[in-house]
Amino acid sequence: MINFQQVSKTYPGGHRALEKVSFHIRPGELAFLTGHSGAGKSTLLKLISLMERPSAGKVLINGVDLSAVKSRQIPYVRRDIGIIFQNHRLLERHTIFDNVALPLVIEGTHRKQIEKRVHGALDKVGLLDKVKCHPSTLSGGEQQRVGIARAIVNSPPLLLADEPTGNLDPELSMDILRLFEDFNKHGTTVLIATHDLGLISRMRYRSLTLKEGRMSQDPLAEASL
Amino acid sequence: MSLLFKGRQSQNERAKKSFIAAGYFFILNIFRQGIHSLGEMWRTPMASMMTIAVLGLSLTLPATLYLVVKNVQQINSGFEEAAEISLFVKESMSEQETQTLVKRLALYPEVDKVTFISKQNALVEFKEVSGFGQALEYLDENPLPDVVLITPTSRHRQADSARALLEKLEKEREVDFGKLDIAWLERLNALLSLLKESVITIALLLLTSVTLIIGNTIRLSIMDKKEEIQVMKLVGATNTFIHAPFLWTGIWYGIIGGLFAFICVALMMWWLGSAVTEVAGVYQTHFDLIGLSVSEFGSLVLLATILGFVGSYLSVNRYIKEIEPDKV
Repeated sequence: MINFQQVSKTYPGGHRALEKVSFHIRPGELAFLTGHSGAGKSTLLKLISLMERPSAGKVLINGVDLSAVKSRQIPYVRRDIGIIFQNHRLLERHTIFDNVALPLVIEGTHRKQIEKRVHGALDKVGLLDKVKCHPSTLSGGEQQRVGIARAIVNSPPLLLADEPTGNLDPELSMDILRLFEDFNKHGTTVLIATHDLGLISRMRYRSLTLKEGRMSQDPLAEASL
Repeated sequence: MSLLFKGRQSQNERAKKSFIAAGYFFILNIFRQGIHSLGEMWRTPMASMMTIAVLGLSLTLPATLYLVVKNVQQINSGFEEAAEISLFVKESMSEQETQTLVKRLALYPEVDKVTFISKQNALVEFKEVSGFGQALEYLDENPLPDVVLITPTSRHRQADSARALLEKLEKEREVDFGKLDIAWLERLNALLSLLKESVITIALLLLTSVTLIIGNTIRLSIMDKKEEIQVMKLVGATNTFIHAPFLWTGIWYGIIGGLFAFICVALMMWWLGSAVTEVAGVYQTHFDLIGLSVSEFGSLVLLATILGFVGSYLSVNRYIKEIEPDKV
């Protein structure tokens, strides 16, 4: 599903964020991406969501080479990828409903469909009673779950999460991970970037580790090749 | 349409049945966005009203100047109609010859009316009107020539065609010379065209400023919604989708600003109307101010709408491109 081939990324100014990173995440897999802050986790996610382009190497998603995607086509790529951010990035001026409905509105979905799917997504994250609230009235964990609802509302085949449990206590973090597990069981490929190693150790999933821009040995990945 | 996953369709595409239905929803969506951005403007009534007032007043000035020109032209056209040609008959001509000239002139297609004033009549009239009565008694003979007054048909009363007619009439054998008193008319026309030119210049400047005001307002609103734009780009909004509400806001500013300007002009006309009637009364004439006609009202609002669109288009094209999700 996600295939990196010798990918390097150097930012203008000479900072080398990624160096010859290669890995492959298969469809239906749930994987963690770990490493200290500054190890290149965010850059890696940005390359998948086309916020950045690699300096060298190839990124393929579902066999499609992202370097062939023109900037005009980027929106359509992003519609296939649900992204969850550490700081949730909700629209403060809009209600929870409007926030979650945004990806559907962008696609031009019909009103009735939007309502059905938004309620479905909010129900999954357990926030159906907050439909009419504004993000600022919600707790951190609730805001994060709204962000998740927005990412899954159009059932994307691929889900990326950047530190989704960053500011949450362990119990809430576990709840959120359970949510990702649940989506994964329904066939979604999930990649979660986190530095919360304690969390990962409790779950038996593959983890990719970045260290100063390089990918450490990944026994599971080697086995799959 | 999915780029990465060929089998995947959005909810919407599954529902779309025909091309016509797609077009219908496309247009419906555009208008929905229009109504939506009007609602957005309503959320910040003070800021919106102030922008609209600035635009309205900037549009009121050129509209007023336009009306000034239009009204002056109306007065002027009343004068132009009065063109009259005086032909002075050569002294050597006999009465017989003069009479045939008068008959011949009456047959000209350009001539509406011919009035003959004999030198005797002219002298009598001159004595009465000029007040030189006593002095004129001392003259041995009548110094005045026979005069034929020509009123051209309405089509030949304009300065240019009247002059052409004069030249033609002067070629008549019996005519010494002719006179068409249009110098003052030409001066008035020159002044009027100067006025028109300055109105156009001022109007152009003001319309440019309207465009810039709208562009700047939209720019501020884009900056204000920077976060929102980033999030929209992140969840896969196309540029068209992000641009639409800003373009609509510009268009609404134009429309409402145009209406505001119209109301200002109408109030001003109403206010000045009675004063103008009074002045006209003093001069013992009747004069009505002409306001904006329906089509002129339409053009004003249309022009404002176009300016609104252009202003917002410039800003949107320039600034939304710069807002990318990674530049946090």
